[in-house]
Order: sequence, then C-alpha cells, then structure tokens
Amino acid sequence: MKTIPRGAFAEPGTSLAFHTGSWRVQKPVHDRRPAPCHAVCPAGEDPQTYLAKVEEGDLKGAWETLVAANPLPAITGRVCPHFCESACNRRHYDDAIAIHNVERFLGDEAIRQGWAYPLRPAGDGAPCVAVVGAGPAGLAAAWHLRRLGHAVTLFEAMPQAGGTLRTAIPQYRLPREAMDAELERLLAIGIEFRPHTRLGRDVSLAELRQDFSALFLGPGNQLGREWSADFAVPSDLRSGLQLLQEWIATGALPVEAKSVALLGGGNTAIDLSRVLRRSGVAEVHLITHQRAPAPGVPSDDVMRAAPSEVAMALEEGVIVHEHRGIRRLILRGERVIGVELVRMKKLTDDRGRLHRVAFEGTETVLHVDMVIPAIGQVVDGEGFESLLGTGSYFKVDAWTGLLRGQENVFVGGDARGDHGTVTEAVGDGRRAAMAIDRLLRGEAPPAPDTAEPVAYESLNLHYFEPEARAREPVLPVERRQGLDEIEQGLDANQVRHEAHRCFSCGDCLACDNCWTLCPDQSVLKTRDRASDGSHYVFDYDYCKGCGLCAHECPTGYIRMVEDL
Amino acid sequence: MNDSVIHDLRNHQPRFRGLEAGHRACQGCGEALAARLVTESAGPDVMVANATGCLEVFTTPWPESAWRMPWAHSVFGNAAALAAGMEAALKRQGKSTKVLAFAGDGGTFDIGFQALSGMMERGHNVLFVCYDNEAYMNTGVQRSGSTPHAASTTTSPPGKARMGKRHLKKDILSIIAAHHIPYAATASVAYPSDLRKKVRRAMAVEGPTFLQVHTPCPLGWGHDSGLTVEVARLAVQTGLFPLIEMERGGVAGVMPIREIRPVTAYLKAQNRFRHLFADEARAREELEHLQALADHNIEVYGLRGEHVDRYDTEGADTLHRGGARWA
Repeated sequence: MKTIPRGAFAEPGTSLAFHTGSWRVQKPVHDRRPAPCHAVCPAGEDPQTYLAKVEEGDLKGAWETLVAANPLPAITGRVCPHFCESACNRRHYDDAIAIHNVERFLGDEAIRQGWAYPLRPAGDGAPCVAVVGAGPAGLAAAWHLRRLGHAVTLFEAMPQAGGTLRTAIPQYRLPREAMDAELERLLAIGIEFRPHTRLGRDVSLAELRQDFSALFLGPGNQLGREWSADFAVPSDLRSGLQLLQEWIATGALPVEAKSVALLGGGNTAIDLSRVLRRSGVAEVHLITHQRAPAPGVPSDDVMRAAPSEVAMALEEGVIVHEHRGIRRLILRGERVIGVELVRMKKLTDDRGRLHRVAFEGTETVLHVDMVIPAIGQVVDGEGFESLLGTGSYFKVDAWTGLLRGQENVFVGGDARGDHGTVTEAVGDGRRAAMAIDRLLRGEAPPAPDTAEPVAYESLNLHYFEPEARAREPVLPVERRQGLDEIEQGLDANQVRHEAHRCFSCGDCLACDNCWTLCPDQSVLKTRDRASDGSHYVFDYDYCKGCGLCAHECPTGYIRMVEDL
Repeated sequence: MNDSVIHDLRNHQPRFRGLEAGHRACQGCGEALAARLVTESAGPDVMVANATGCLEVFTTPWPESAWRMPWAHSVFGNAAALAAGMEAALKRQGKSTKVLAFAGDGGTFDIGFQALSGMMERGHNVLFVCYDNEAYMNTGVQRSGSTPHAASTTTSPPGKARMGKRHLKKDILSIIAAHHIPYAATASVAYPSDLRKKVRRAMAVEGPTFLQVHTPCPLGWGHDSGLTVEVARLAVQTGLFPLIEMERGGVAGVMPIREIRPVTAYLKAQNRFRHLFADEARAREELEHLQALADHNIEVYGLRGEHVDRYDTEGADTLHRGGARWA
C-alpha cells in the first residue's frame, strides 16, 4: 500500500485493495448433491434435473435428460410405483411432486413430436453384444449399449417386443398404443431385433457365446411358482399369472365363479383381482400375509404391489384380508367350496431371516367357489440350464448384474429374483450396459454412487410457498369396465406447475439469494463463467466466510467447508 | 478462475455497486448488507452524508473507500444537518442529485435527533436511512435509545438489579411521522424486495423521507454470522419489528404476518437475551413482557394476516428459478 504522510492529502483509493478473504476460516462452496428422487430411482433417473428443464420451457432437453437414464418414460410414467415421489422432500412440506406424471407427459410428448433419441451411430467394427429378452431390462440394456457406442442384437422369443409389459400388464394401466409407439421408436434407433427367436430352440447359448463379445439376459419369470400346499388342491388349479395373461391376450376369463379367493400380495395378484371384478366376479377376496400400503405400515410388512394399484383395487370392491394365509381348502369332491383362513405374519427367526408363522386358534372359514394362487413366478430355465443351475433365479452381483462365476454374462430384470418392477428392470439394464462397456474397454466395473442425498433439513423452506399438487383426471369406478386407461395424465400447464413446485434439492435454482444477501459483494453473478452449472461464482479474495449464503440457500446447494 | 476474469466479472454485474467489497465490516454484518441493498436501489445519482459509526468506520479506512459514489463523513450528531446543506447547495446549482443521509441508531434516535428533526421540519429533499442495530456497536455495544427492552449490552448488563435494559425501545417511526413528512417506513434485511420497493418509493418522493432498516449485528447481538437474515426475519415474524409505511403521519401500509411466531423463537437465537431463559421468576416475567410488546404491535398495526397474501411475511420473499422475485 502507498504510504501517505500524516496531514497530507489522500489520493482516492478503493477498498478493493484490501483482501478481506484473509479473515476467513470457512468458505462457501457449490456442492451439487443428488436429490432424494434421484438417489432412490432404480432406473437412475434424475427428476430434479429434468423438472428444472421443464420449468425453463425446454421440454425436449428435459426428455433427453430423462432418456439418458430410462428410454421408456411413456411406459414407466404409467406403470412405475414411483419410488421418487415416496422420497420427494416436498412430501414433508405439502405434497410430493407428481414426478410420474411429468415423466409420462415427456414420454408422450416425445412420441407426439417425434423427437429423435439422442444417439451417435455405432462405428464400424464396434463390439457386438447380444441381449436376450426384449422386456424392460433387455430394452434398457440395448439402448444404453447403443448409447455407449456398441452394436446390439436383441433376441426375443415372442413375435413382438415388450415382455411382461405386453403379457402381464392390463391395458387399463398401460394402453397398447402408448406402449407400441414407444417400443417402435426405440427399436428403430439401430438395434438389430430378432423376434420369434427363443434361446434353446432357435439359437443356442453356445452360439451366442461364440458370436458376441458379451451377453445380457433379461428372460423374465415365465413360470408360475408351484403352490407347495400340504393339503389337497383341485387338479384344474390355474395360476394367477396364466389367467392374467389369458385375459390380456383374449379379453376374457374362463371363470364361472361368483366368489374367488386370490392368494398373493404382488402386482399379479392385484392386477388379477381387478380383472376378476371387471369380468363380473361378485366377490374377490385377496388373501395376503402382509398388509395393504398405508401410512405407518413398516416396509417389510407391506404388500409388494404398487400402493396406487392397491388403492384402486379397494375402490373397485376387492376385499383384502390382511395378515392371513390359507390353511387348507374345503372341497366337495374336486370342487372348492371354501377356504380355511388363518392369521399369519412374517417374523424374523434367530438367524435374522424372515419366515411365515401361522397363529393357531385363529382359523376362520371363507366360502368361495374358486381359489387362485398368485404367489410369484420363477425363471423358465429352458435354454440356459447351465447358467441357471438349480435355483429359481439367477445369482448375480447386485450392482452390475454380472452372473456369478461368469466373466461376460449379465442378467437383469425379474429373473434376478430380488425385485419385480419395470423401473428396477430398466435400472438393471442400464447398469449392466455400463459394466459391459467398461469390460469391453478393459476397464474396472463402475462403482455404486454413494453420495448422500439432500435432506429435508438442509433446505431453507422460507423461500417456498405451499402450492397444491396437480391432480390428473381418473376414470370413476363405475366407468372402469373395458380397457380404457384409468389415469389420464396431466396437461402441459399442470406439468409446468409441478416443475415449478420442485424444490430443486441440491441444485442451483439461479434464484439470486446468495447474490442478493452477501454483505460483502463477494458473490458475483454470471451465467457464462460459472462452470459448475450454477449462475454464480464466489470471489474468495473478499469472502469473509460468514455463512449467510449457505444458510439462506433454499436448495442446500451451498455448503461451508473449513478453510484455515 | 483467475484474478482478471473475476475483476472483469465484478465490473459487469447487472446492478449498481454503491458499496464495494473490501470493506471491513464483521462477518455477516447486517448493516453492510442493508447499505449495499439501499445504495443499489437508490444509486447511482446520489450523494451521501454519513454520520460517525460502524458504517463510516468500516467503509473508509484511510486512504481507501468502499463507496462508489460521492460520500461525506459528518460528525456523530449532524448527518441530517450536513445532508440538508448538501441538498440546499445542489438545489441552488439546479442539480437533481438526491441526497441520502446514513446514520446508525445512535446517530438517529439519540445524538443525531435534533439535527434530524430540524431537517424534517425544514422540508429538505433528503432520504434519511437509519441502520438500526439497536446499540452503539462501533464503540463496544453500549445501550442506545433503540436497544430493545431487556437486552443485555455492556451498559445494561443483566444482574441482581435488573434483567438487561430497563427502558423501552424508542418508537422513532411515530416520532418521525409526527413531523408530517410524506413518507416514513421500516424495512428489514430479511425482506430485500420489500426494502428495495421502499427505497424506490422514498426516492420518488419530493421532500424529507425516512427509512429505518433493521440490521442484526452478529457481534453485538450474539448470534452466528450465518444467521443474520434468519434473526432479522424472526424479528418481523414475531411482531417485535413490524414492517410498516407511514404517509403524512398516518399508517399507509403494513406487511401482514402469516404465521405469527412466539417471541422466544427470536430471543433464543441471540446471546443478548440469554439471561431471559434462566429459571427464575424475573426472567419469565420479562419474556412475558416482550411477548406483550409484540402482541401490542400486532394489535396496534393490524399485523395479523387474515389470508394468504403474496406480500405477507411468508410470501414476500418467495423465490423463482432465474431470480425474478428480487426485481
């Protein structure tokens, strides 16, 4: 600094010559962290990011962000039980963002507008990967492999792609026009699709191993699980899955009964219960050893079916018997006239494993004309006996889906046996594709993302206003007869409203709070220069580290770190 | 990012920088924030007369200045007199530059009061801004006429005789409004949009105008430097610092409180009120006293929000992607 003698004049000098940043013991940093919706999404979607683009009016950009994780948004937007909304921080404030509606809207909009999937053509001589099964897992794997620059051949036993989407999800949940439109577009990106090609019948595992650099298997679960009842069962017993598939394929059910007991608490059981009601069965009793989803029910005691589907089944008159099991069937000759129910619960044994316990002395009789077990499905091992072994499902690495004991065979979707939703299958396909990509390039497999999601407590809620969640039109119960879609989606204005409600957890909103509230003029606004996706940079020459910006940041995007 | 890029950015900020970085205010200073916000909205065609106090000291360590506009330092008591003289001289020269007077609560409520009253009475076209941090912070936290009842300062320590300051906070706004001036208002650093709106309103008025800005002092009030805005917000939400506008002596507008918070939420956040949370009858009585003062404000000014209002204590700073709310 220039020395000026006492009593002299002062030349004009600016305080910028004095760097107050040297006072600092902590400094603010921009800390982009996953929003809870992103952290829990099994498909790896980042709703916070695409909601931000929707709010900016960039619908195409939002869709491109979305399909960078999940190529089937029009489908998952309809059938996913939306893990994201159960984790949404806004649910503590007023109501979760209707993320699944936004996802569905973007998927439908892409179909309507014909937006091209963002993709580069696969180069000549790109390694070729075989994907077996064109269900959600296989389709996601094929898409991500193509994105990553690999050539893909997709084998499917059925005449059309879709897998479980086509065979086991009722049309009133997933209209076939919406599904077909999305599948057609996806298959047209340059995937070699071979329908009518069943592994073990039309092509052998050995051939695939020889012709392709890596394999991804997404065969699904095609066999109804055996009902290992230790009591007499009628010889013409049919599984829930068979009946559901038959109704979906033909629109009719070979059921004469007036009352039916349906055993199971998964999506097949719920879907079939609603189909039975539509087919004119007066009484549909759902017997489950768990409970219907409701606030406060512990997650290990709740039915596996999607909560919204259970709620609609109840609306439609399905009777749910919670914490019950079937002790025996009451037969007159070969004909069922009732079931003996017993109170039943899943309890933990000494080794920490869950098992079902029936409570003696709680037996009751329920009169029904028919019993249908819908107790789950297992892999049909035909064609890959050598890989499946003796188990019901494939044993895989939980993150990548690498089949145990194999180097280049990956499995995803229901055939893993550890989960059963479309979205989880999409995630399996995505992570396996990333692992295959690394494998073929000779790199280590990708590691799970372990970043802590932004907690509700780290938001500054003062800067938000309560706003009601947009509600989609839903067909009233009396009109739920045929195949008409029940949930009808949000319109463009409602979707923008939902995007506007998003807290933007862990990401910059460009709200100007830090810029406005810094007492030291140490937050500078810039759209071009901030390389971290925010609109601001800190001027550490002057920042005193007071922490005001971090405390007032509405989204938890600014964090104070020690800076001694 | 290198220094020249930052420097370039600083010179291209989309707002007027009346108060530049490098000033020596403490971390989280509410007064620095308020002065920045006021000059942003008032500038650049302004001149400032600044009374002695924190603001004068931390912005102008000789030979530097953090001000990017004409600025003069007065003695403690006569910022209003200096401003009046500046205004008269500019008027004589036919210039339209607006004169601002800046003072702390000491330079407004106590030492500067007679000069302020005279300036108002003579009708000078000056906006007088009082940065109210409720004590003489510059000299080491001595009580002022603005220090709230029961607050601890170095000259009103809690002890056997009393629980902090014995007297009440002076109702300066009513006194100023009684001069029948065209516009007088309170504002808070917790509500920058509201503050800016009031500055612009005062700037547009010909004649003497007055703005009292509540500016927490982390050092004197004893709270974390990151909580300045939070504490200021609680003062408004409890009713202890009502945001009101007065024109010609009458109440012209108030910011309604949507969710009235108990005064303890505000008091607990600050060490200057820590003694009120001791387990004794006197402390309980003083807490009730402060609650009664807040309830009195709410009743007298009609602060209770009857319905959700865009401009109430919860709606006034609702943000939007892209920052539109601060405009």
